[in-house]
Amino acid sequence: MIDLTRTERTVLGVLIGACILLAGLVGTGVLSASYLFYLLALGGMYVLLTVGLNVQWGYVGLINFSVAAFFGIGAYSVALVTSPRSPLELELHPIFGLLAAIVVTVVIALLIAIPTLRLREDYLAIATLGLAEVVRLIVLNEQWLTRGSAGVPGIPRVTEWMPLAWVPFDSANFRNFLLVVGLVALVFLIVRRIHRSPWGRVLRTIRADEDLAKALGKNTYRRKMEAFVIGSVIMALAGVFYAHLNLFLGPGDLDPINTFYVWIAVIVGGSGSDRGAIIGGVVIVAILEGTRGLVAVVPADVSVGPLRLLLVGALIVLVVRFRSQGILPPQRELIWPGTDRRASASTDGGEDRE
Amino acid sequence: MLSMLQYVANGIVFSSIIILGAIGLSLVYAIGNFANFAHGDLMTVGAFGAIIGGSFLTGYVPGTEVSIVGIPLSFYLAVLVGMVVATVVALATERLVYRPMDATPIQLLIASIGVALAYRGAIQLRYGAESRTFDVGRGGPIPIIRETIGVSVTQRHLVIVSLTVVLVVSLHVLLQYTTLGRKMRATADNPTLARVSGIRTSEVITAMWIIGAALAAAGGAFLGLDTLVYPDMGFDVLLVLFAAVILGGIGSVYGAVAGGLAIGMAHELTPLIPRVGAEYGPAVAFIIMVAILLVRPSGIMGDRQ
Amino acid sequence: MSEAVDHEVEAEESPDVDDPILEVDGLKKSFGGLVATDDVSIAVERGSITGLIGPNGAGKSTLFNLISGFYEPDAGQVLVGDSDVTGLPPHEIVQRGLVRTFQTPKKLEGMSVREAMLVGPQAQPGESLVPIWLSPSSVADAERANLDRAEELLQLFEIDHLATERATEVSGGQLKLIELARAIIAEPDILLLDEPVAGVNPTLARKLAGFIEELNESYGLTFFIVEHDINFIMRLSDRIVVLDRGRVLTTGSPQAVKSDSRVIDAYLGGGGP
Repeated sequence: MIDLTRTERTVLGVLIGACILLAGLVGTGVLSASYLFYLLALGGMYVLLTVGLNVQWGYVGLINFSVAAFFGIGAYSVALVTSPRSPLELELHPIFGLLAAIVVTVVIALLIAIPTLRLREDYLAIATLGLAEVVRLIVLNEQWLTRGSAGVPGIPRVTEWMPLAWVPFDSANFRNFLLVVGLVALVFLIVRRIHRSPWGRVLRTIRADEDLAKALGKNTYRRKMEAFVIGSVIMALAGVFYAHLNLFLGPGDLDPINTFYVWIAVIVGGSGSDRGAIIGGVVIVAILEGTRGLVAVVPADVSVGPLRLLLVGALIVLVVRFRSQGILPPQRELIWPGTDRRASASTDGGEDRE
Repeated sequence: MLSMLQYVANGIVFSSIIILGAIGLSLVYAIGNFANFAHGDLMTVGAFGAIIGGSFLTGYVPGTEVSIVGIPLSFYLAVLVGMVVATVVALATERLVYRPMDATPIQLLIASIGVALAYRGAIQLRYGAESRTFDVGRGGPIPIIRETIGVSVTQRHLVIVSLTVVLVVSLHVLLQYTTLGRKMRATADNPTLARVSGIRTSEVITAMWIIGAALAAAGGAFLGLDTLVYPDMGFDVLLVLFAAVILGGIGSVYGAVAGGLAIGMAHELTPLIPRVGAEYGPAVAFIIMVAILLVRPSGIMGDRQ
Repeated sequence: MSEAVDHEVEAEESPDVDDPILEVDGLKKSFGGLVATDDVSIAVERGSITGLIGPNGAGKSTLFNLISGFYEPDAGQVLVGDSDVTGLPPHEIVQRGLVRTFQTPKKLEGMSVREAMLVGPQAQPGESLVPIWLSPSSVADAERANLDRAEELLQLFEIDHLATERATEVSGGQLKLIELARAIIAEPDILLLDEPVAGVNPTLARKLAGFIEELNESYGLTFFIVEHDINFIMRLSDRIVVLDRGRVLTTGSPQAVKSDSRVIDAYLGGGGP
């Protein structure tokens, strides 16, 4: 039996409840199965973004306001390399789209990290604000590369190979959902392994007190760099997925507000907690879909966009003020699995075990 | 193709606006000890305060149609209204959000992002997303300047630059020759030492927000006068403000002036770079900022690490 | 001219350092116009316990920061063992065998006590990403050894009952012990302690002194300690270095220093002409 804390049990209960509710809605025909899977796929995408930011902010305390930009870099790399309508006219296999996304992201992440990671934390925040702006400007203005505001259509699907024709509710959205579940699982397993290790422990020390980490002989610059690059690549992966989900990409898909949705998800989920990050990603979709429902509630002359902006802003302030540890704050000791004799012997608390 | 001088003239106008924003951002950075990501949106608040207040004034106050340097008196009053509105908003934010939080600089930074979104959302909710212009005649370039040096400068430009000079000089006098100014400089240099030597920090912090917000509002109103007033206007220049502050050296008011001048100028001179359009102004500011971080992170006038 | 006198005095009183593990030579550092460390030269004997004292603002913390690489000196040299570490980043100085602690240890948020201990060991394979994937068994072996060692040290310091407590929930004194234990697990040749008993109750302070002596005797570990508690440092140290206004005032045995009138003057704030 998996041992869970009380909060985890509550969260699990809420999630199961939500699943039953959604299944009920589909069963009664209120919600189409295809749309449900679309929402879940989108949720998976946000989970990826949240996990990526959690590696940067949650593990080590790096402030990245370029989440939407790294997402966009990933998505545009795919679009430009794979789409027949891309000005580059390469039309390569999606695998090259993925590779291009990773390479471009790593290069840009390094370029931004090298000058800033030696300095106080807020310089990275300011520099990533700038990066987001520059990426937006390039996407909008360099028409020879990105087609500007016209966007890039014709991005290929990557789910045709799935042998699922026999499934009664098989649809593109269902397949995309499965794809993102696979991606999330893969990314989750990778980050959990590197997190529950001496590497993760050094990052956690840096987050608490970087000078202490240095005084204990840790190369903090190097570790921060690694975390920043890994987090950014995960964000780019979300973009890669989105490109293949939406099949069209325009400058509007890089809306900077997405960066702040992801921030809320990480902080609400519990900075530094892998499972919290997943919950946070789900929370975003709930907020976005929930505020969509606002249309029915608010007077007709109130537009939802600004209201959402206001609420997101207020929520950030409130979370920082009143529950800065989030729903599922990190509770596990970062000790390499299987090496801890106490874990198998001790019985109290139940916090330190899997 | 515009003449080089024309770009420089435009640069001086834009620099004035950036200087007004950068001073407040730098003060909050030094005295409040956090990077205030809501400072750009505070400019927006000031600009909206001015444009809404201004249109209100023209209706109720007689004599506002009188012109000074070709700009109606109502605009000057509107700027004052904007400064008051931004100051009230900034002080309320400080009391409600930042002060009770007792948080690290990083938490304050993240909270300030929330504040920025909330300002913008509230403005957009109330006044919509469309652009507005100040109700000030579009007077063309001043003929005599155009004829003598071939540069088109409007009366608006003259007003923006000269009012900025007045505001910056007043601030200089305040900082150098008043007790409050000395306290502010001491706190900006070393907050702990200032507190130990008996300076009441809360007084200094209040003064800092008032000055920062008032100057930001003036900058926002001038930006609106030069171009348009719209809800994203302040956030759109935030990067440029940060670049100016970092170039000048965080915490140095005079650094903010020098940094604002240099970055504002670079922003407007961008089209002179071959194959780069004016829209890349913020990108140029960004590249200068990153270069400064690489070679001299304390900025040209700062000695902080 | 006072410079010349200082050097002479030092030369007279330092003949006993014949195997220095730490040598500081002509170290200078100023902030703005303020000179914090002015031409400081100090040698610490291998295997000794050396104390560093001086009135507030004498430059003790600055000196520690300069030695451990947190500040870069304007002039001068720092040698650890035989290698010149001047200007190296802190983590590389640790690799040369010099570890330091801080005056006010930050509580490590979200960490248990033994987790905090596990940050101490050097050259852990699991701190790099490659071995995590390519040789997980080496990571696991090192982790097991480090866990055992951490447990052992916590036992030695009589705080093993705290091992799985949250590091944010232990007392200030316990935190000082944990810090010392964590520095030891890094296996330094020389350990710089910045006010190890500041804010610690007298009983625990005596205990700490005992641990320091034990580590010094049984492992030959060298200590260089800044401490305001004069009795503590005088009792513990083999030699004392006195700093005043950024300069070395004198160096000598605790007895000699105690009776030195210049030291008394410096502490009384007079300083003399």
